[in-house]
Parts: sequence; structure tokens; C-alpha cells
Amino acid sequence: MEINEILVIGMFISFIGLLFTGIPVAWVLGGIGVVFAGLGYLADQYLDTITGLDFLTLGLVVNRVWKIMDNWILVALPMFIFMGNMLDKSGVAERLMSSMQELFGHVRGGLAVTVTVIGIILAASTGIIGASVVLLGVMSLPAMTKQNYSMPLALGTIASAGTLGILIPPSIMLVIMADQLGLSVGDLFMGAVMPGLMLGAMYVLYILTVGWLKPDAAPIPENAKKVTWGTVAKVLKAVTPTLFLIFSVLGSIFAGIATPTEASGVGALGATILAIYYRKFNLKVLNNVLGDTYNTTAYIFAIFIGATCFALVLRELGGDELIESFLTGLPFGPYGIIFFILALVFVLGFFLDWIEITLIILPLLAPVISALGLDINGYGVVDNPELVWFVMLVAMTLQTSFLPPPVGFALFYLKGVCPPEVKLSQIYKGVIPFIILQIIALLILVYWPQLVLWLPAAAYG
Amino acid sequence: MKQQVSPVKMPVADAIDRFIEKVGKTIAWVYVLLILTIILQVVLRKGFSSGLVVLEELQWHLYATGVMFGLSFAQTTQSHIRVDIFYARFSPKTKSIIDICGILLLMLPFVGVIFLHSLDFVYDAWRIGERSDSPSGLHYRWLVKAVIPLSMCLLALGMLAKLLREIQFLSRGKLSGN
Amino acid sequence: ADKILLKTPIAFGSHLPALGTPIKWVSEQLSLMSDKKIRMKIYEPGKLVGAKEILDAVSSGKVNSGYATAGYWQGKMPAAAIFSAVPFGPEAGEYMAWLYYGNGMSLYQEMYDTAGYNVKVMPCAIISPETSGWFNKEINTPADLKGLNMRFFGLGASVMEKMGVSTSQLPGGEIFGALEKGAIDASEFSQPAIDQRLGFHKIMKYNYFPGWHQQATVFELLVNKDAWGKFTQAQQAMIETTCKASMTNAIAEGESMQFEVMAKAKDNGVEIRYWNDTMLSAFEDKWSEVVVEKTAADPFFNKVWSDLSTFRKGYDLWESHAFLPRAVK
Ligand code: NA
Ligand code: NA
Repeated sequence: MEINEILVIGMFISFIGLLFTGIPVAWVLGGIGVVFAGLGYLADQYLDTITGLDFLTLGLVVNRVWKIMDNWILVALPMFIFMGNMLDKSGVAERLMSSMQELFGHVRGGLAVTVTVIGIILAASTGIIGASVVLLGVMSLPAMTKQNYSMPLALGTIASAGTLGILIPPSIMLVIMADQLGLSVGDLFMGAVMPGLMLGAMYVLYILTVGWLKPDAAPIPENAKKVTWGTVAKVLKAVTPTLFLIFSVLGSIFAGIATPTEASGVGALGATILAIYYRKFNLKVLNNVLGDTYNTTAYIFAIFIGATCFALVLRELGGDELIESFLTGLPFGPYGIIFFILALVFVLGFFLDWIEITLIILPLLAPVISALGLDINGYGVVDNPELVWFVMLVAMTLQTSFLPPPVGFALFYLKGVCPPEVKLSQIYKGVIPFIILQIIALLILVYWPQLVLWLPAAAYG
Repeated sequence: MKQQVSPVKMPVADAIDRFIEKVGKTIAWVYVLLILTIILQVVLRKGFSSGLVVLEELQWHLYATGVMFGLSFAQTTQSHIRVDIFYARFSPKTKSIIDICGILLLMLPFVGVIFLHSLDFVYDAWRIGERSDSPSGLHYRWLVKAVIPLSMCLLALGMLAKLLREIQFLSRGKLSGN
Repeated sequence: ADKILLKTPIAFGSHLPALGTPIKWVSEQLSLMSDKKIRMKIYEPGKLVGAKEILDAVSSGKVNSGYATAGYWQGKMPAAAIFSAVPFGPEAGEYMAWLYYGNGMSLYQEMYDTAGYNVKVMPCAIISPETSGWFNKEINTPADLKGLNMRFFGLGASVMEKMGVSTSQLPGGEIFGALEKGAIDASEFSQPAIDQRLGFHKIMKYNYFPGWHQQATVFELLVNKDAWGKFTQAQQAMIETTCKASMTNAIAEGESMQFEVMAKAKDNGVEIRYWNDTMLSAFEDKWSEVVVEKTAADPFFNKVWSDLSTFRKGYDLWESHAFLPRAVK
């Protein structure tokens, strides 16, 4: 084995090893980059390699950081985060919850369905897994407990609905994936609509079935009011503004009023107007929202910076070629390779957030997928249809990888907001059916790429 | 997410953290400016067919300022993402040792590399009066480029504050014999 | 040095015909001619460093070479635009004449030297005209342009703004979506064979020619000067000669592949138009206004511009007599 290959493998191993020490991910990535640049330099001096790495070359990190700053597309990131924060802090999301609960309260599993629907709506606004899961947990767990829901069902619903956020547009993850792979954000947003809705529908169907088969798991509250036209009107009144906001963001993209980047700004303003409309807006709320947005954007961005250093050194060491030739050399055939990659992403998702996977792993995988020569129908409209489809597979795999016990991120976020008597084992039990649903959905996507590609083709055709 | 208030006063570390927080609370307002800039651009472009390259560029200038300076803020609030499956179960002493090693061996070298190399990067932009490569774009490119060394300085300060806290914590532990 | 490894980040994907393919050819030829003693390792855009950072990276020695177009540095050196493409500027033959046998090359190198960039520059590809842009309506008078939102790049953008067009400079990947959704109304990008890859023909009806803003575009190979100084004369000659050969290769490739794409676009209902005289002279008027501003604002721009203008005035006598009229449309 060549020395630079050993260094590449060493980078990955020390990355994974150091991750588990609990040192922040961003700095593990950046630090390893620096350390291995040093090792590469020493190898050049004493082992006769030609990595070309030295302190000067490492300076490319600054140019790469600048490239991240000088990026019009990523402007959407803080804006979507602002929008999600504003909906949360101004109590708009909570109002949504309580009013929908009235509407669905008399249906078995209705409350859980509500959580899923809210999850989808929140999903459309935040796209930050931790935030969605925590928010849903805080809002709905007390209500579900009071209504004597089976704990696993309640917890499973929250965890899975919370993770929908990274898939359903406008999703920050999709924005970043598009940026990384040079795909159209619009294609990815459109491509994610059907898979996301399909998944949401599968969740709802599952919950309703459980409610029907095991009435004890999802009891109807004793004081459930009959749904009258008055309730419906009230719910509509409560839900409409928020839905309007979501659709105005997506709509302004699809109607050509704004680019996705600009739509994020429209969404941020819209959420603020909504908060004003509900009389929940004041300087303190704004300051809180700003502080959180500032903080969240930064810790996501930190990983960008760390990853860009890691990726630079990895590339200088020839890591790209190594991984590409390893993957394309697998004796599995195209679909075998795809399943292998998805399995890899799934496992990586246990300990990496989607951000690192998107920034480091995805760009390495894209050329492999392109080289497979898959004949995926983009209807002559969608560019790189095989990549758009593959990104959706990765997105859904990642989303699934947040749920599995014992390491799924979503589980920890959820445990963090549960009352102490809730056991981790109950959460584990609750998410298993949802994981199975996810895997089924994933297989459906593998089998029918049109589920991803038809909508963008129809929209842009 | 907030840094736990330490029972013992650490004047230097506290002062650094307070400073970073103050800077953060101020710079966070770039996101309000960003919203306004985007809306103005959309309105001008769609409403009056006269979008401005300047506004387009201002958007990423504001965004870049916000994210870069935010790094130090997230450092003082200890919210940078970490995998805490094991970390959460470590003893305070182990955590402290890990944090010290992380800062000295990984974090400060990384931040140092960016800082040192960014100086030339900014100087060059200033030296030749670099401006937008769009004829109707913004001037004074060195200003936004200067965000890199400044934000890295602030981030390194935040890391130093944490380092001071951990060292003090460890040495205190030694003195009291645990 | 006995063996050379040129680590070369490039500004255009090496899959893009005539825009990115020439440098791939250069790297193959260098390796062949030098018996693998000179190798060029190409890094696709952004893999090592972004397109706009190539000059900085080469000059500082972070990489030893890079492939881009000088127009990318006009924010750093206004005159750089003149070494890339000039509105109403020379065609490829005249352009190369000025560069190689006029004062072009010495001014080109002088520009980098005086701005303090530690690079050796070589033109390493040239392509024939670009299209003038894609529109969804006919443009017959300057009034038809007023109020349009258009993606436009470089010096031409200044002209378009004087025509009352609001320009933006979306990156290649964003243009299609923005056009399709009406976020912008029109766009230029490159030559037909390249524009085709972005799919403009699927959604835009009118493709206008001639590309008054880019009659010829020059691409450059930058080599770090310290690295260059360490090469032997033979190695330097091999690199310089390969780049010169690449000029031939690139323009031949570009010239060969446009008509087929245009014919196909025509079949698919695209209206291929030639600017009428009113429009062309309107563009040219506005361009001369831009030139007045640019030459006043930057002495070196003025110096290069005067030299090029002098050369072109002399060339006019030859040009007006030497060539047959163009083929009839
Ligand atoms: Na989302
Ligand atoms: Na062009």
C-alpha cells in the first residue's frame, strides 16, 4: 500500500476515533486536516512521497473558506433558520398544535396524526432535526401523556415526524446538497415533494391502523368535543396563516417571483409578520430569535469550515481517487453498488450529522454514481436525473439513520426533552415500526425513480 | 446550551466570554438587514424591473459576516456539535482533559492556520483595491475579506477562555486532592 | 527540476466543450511530449480551490499553476478584462496577432507584474464568438430591452445596464431555474454547444447573435513565477509551445461543433436571430461610453486600451481589404 493511501485511511480512522471523544465535530475535521497536512509534509521529506503538502499549500483553506462566504445560494440557510425560530419563539407553532388537536381529537390516533402533520409543516420551515424533534416533543408529549397514549407510539411518532424536516422542502439539507453537486435547487425541492408526502402518508396510515387495531394505544380523550363547524372554522383560522406562509415560500419559488435564496428571505419576513399578527412579536422575541439564528447558523457553518480543510488535505493525498476506485471496483453491479453506498451512508449517519455527510461523503460519491451509467429517465428536462434521484435516496437514508437504536441522533434529542420516567427503551421500541416504514419507502424510491423525477420534470417541462 | 456559571470567578475567561457575547448580540442584527435587503431586491426586481447587483452582493456580504462571527459565539455558548455518546458519561476531569487536548492539538492549530494565511489574503485585496468583478458591484472587497482574520481572532479568544476555565478546573481539583 | 508536477486547478469543468476540454488536451500532450517528465494534474473547479481564487492560489504558490480566464480578475485589475474578451473587440486572428506579434503579451505580463502577482502568464486556449443571449421575445429596438432582468457577465454587463437592463450574474447552475421561473427574463452564457448543456433551448424562444460582447475569448495558463524559474529552458519551451498549440486546438474544436447544435435548436423551434443594425449600433454607442469611463478610472486600462486600439486601427487597412464578405445568412 502506498504511503499516501495509508495517510488517507489514517485520516478517516482518526476522524472516527476522535469524534467519539466528544471534541466538537467541526474542530476534529479541521484539526485532522492540519495534522495530516503536517504528516504529508514529513512523508515528502523522509519517505519520498510527493503529496506536495506543506504549510503554504494548507493556505488554500483560506481561499476555500472565502468560497463558502462568497456563496449566494447558502444565504438561504440563516433565513430558513430564522423563519423556523420565529415560528417557534412566537408561539405560532404551538397555536397550530392546539388547534389541530381539537380537530383530530375524536379520531383514534388523531393526536399522533396531528403531530405528524405539524411535523411536516415544521419540516417545511426548519429542516433542523434537533430543533424539530425538540419542538414537537415539548409541544405534544404532555398532551399525549395526558391522553394516555402508549408511550412507544407517542415517542416513535415524535421522533419520526421530527426527522421529516430534512427531507421536505424547503430543506436546508437539499439546498446544501444542490450546492455541493451542482444540481438545481428547484429540481431537488420538487423531487423531494412526493417522497416526503409519501412518507408522511405512510406514517399517518400506520398511526391510524394502530389506533384501530389497538384502541388502548391511542385512546380518545374523555372530554373530546364533537367537531362542529365552529371547531373547523376555528382550526382553519389558526392554520391558514401558517400554511399560507409555507405556501408563499414555495409558491414564490415556483411562480418565479423569487429564487430559492430570495424565497428564504420572504419566508423569514413572513414568519415575522405572522408573529406580529398574533401579537407575539416584541423586541425580546426578536432578540431571542436573532441570537438563536446566529448561534445555529454558526455551528452548522463551523462544520463547513472544518470539512473544507479535511476535504482539501484528503484530496491532496489522493483520497478522492482512492475512494472512487474502491467503490467502482466493487463486484456488485450498479444497483449492488448503490445499495452498498446507501448502507454505508446509513451507518455513517449513526455518528455523523447530515452536514458532514453532505459535505465530505456526497461529493466523493457523485462521480461514482455518474460513472455507473444508469439509465434514469429525466424526461429530457431534469439535468443529471441519476444524481437527483440518488440524492433523494441519500436524503431518505440519512433521515432513517437518525432513528435506529441505540445511536440515532433523534433519539437523544427526544430523550433530552422527555420527563425522567420515560425510558430510552420505550423510545427504541417506538421508533422500530417507523424505521421499517422508512426502509419500505426507500425501496419504493429505488424501484420507482419516477416518484422523484416526475414532479420536477412536469414542473419545468 | 449556555455555559454553566462557574462557582469560582475567572475574570479573564469571563471577560472574554462577555465580550464575545456582546459582539455577537450586535452582529446578529445582520440577519435583520439581510431580510430587508432580500425583500428590497425582490420588490425592486419584480415590482420595478430594476434589481441591483449591489443588493445581490450585499446579501452574501451580510450572510458571510453573520456566519463567520457567529463561530465565536457558538464557542462561548458551547453549542458546536459534538458526538456525546461517551462524552456525556465521562467524569468532569476526563472531559476537562479532553477539552484541553482538543483545544491545544486540534482547534487552535486549525484556527491559527486560517488566521495566518488570511492576513496575506486580506492585504492583497487591500493593496490592489480589489472590488467586485461585476462592474456595478460593491467596492472595498478587503472589508468583507477582513471578516476572516477578525472572526478567527475572536474564535481563538473564545477557545482560550475555555482553555483557561479547564486548566483552572483541573488545577483546583489537584489542590483539593480529588 | 528533472520531473515537474503541475498541480492545476481549472475554472471550467473539463467536460465543457472548448471551455474546459483544451486544458485536458494540454495535460495529455505535455505528458506525451516530455515522456511523462512533465505531468499536469487537473483539479476540477472547486475541488482544490474555486475558479475565482485561482490567481491568488498560483501567485502565492499554494499551487504551482492554474487555468482560467483573465476576465475573472477584473475586480482586482480592471485591465484584465481586455485580455479575456473585449466588446466589439478583435476576432481570434486579430486578437492573437496583437497578443503574439503586437504588444499584447508584454502588456499582459506587465499587468500581473505591476499588480504584484507572482505569476507567468500564457494564453492557452481561444474560442470563437459566444451567443449574445437568450430571450423570450423579439428585440428590435433598444426600448424592447428596457426593464428586462438579464444574467450577463463582464464588460458586456456594463453595456447592458446602460441599455436599461437590470443585470445579475447568477452562476451557471442557477440560470436555467431562474429563467424557467421568470426570476430573470433573459440570459447569456457561452457558445451554442455549451448553452445547450444548460438547456436554454428548452424554455427560451429567441437566441440572438452575433456575440458583440465576446467575439473571441482567451483562456490563460498561470504558472507561479518562482516555480517557472526553476524549470529548464526545454521544459519552459515545452509548456509554452503546448499552450500555443492549444490555441489552435481550442478554436478548431469550438468552430467545429456550433453549427450542428444550432441546426438542432432551429429544428426544435428556436428562432436564431441576428441583431439588426439599430441594436448593434446602440450596443456599440453604450460600449464607447463604458470605455470612456473605464479608461478615465484606471491608467493601466487606458494604456492597454490605447495600445490595442492603435494596433486595431492599423489592422483595419488589412482587414477591410483582405477578407471576402461573410457567408450570407
Ligand atoms: Na425542511
Ligand atoms: Na459569456
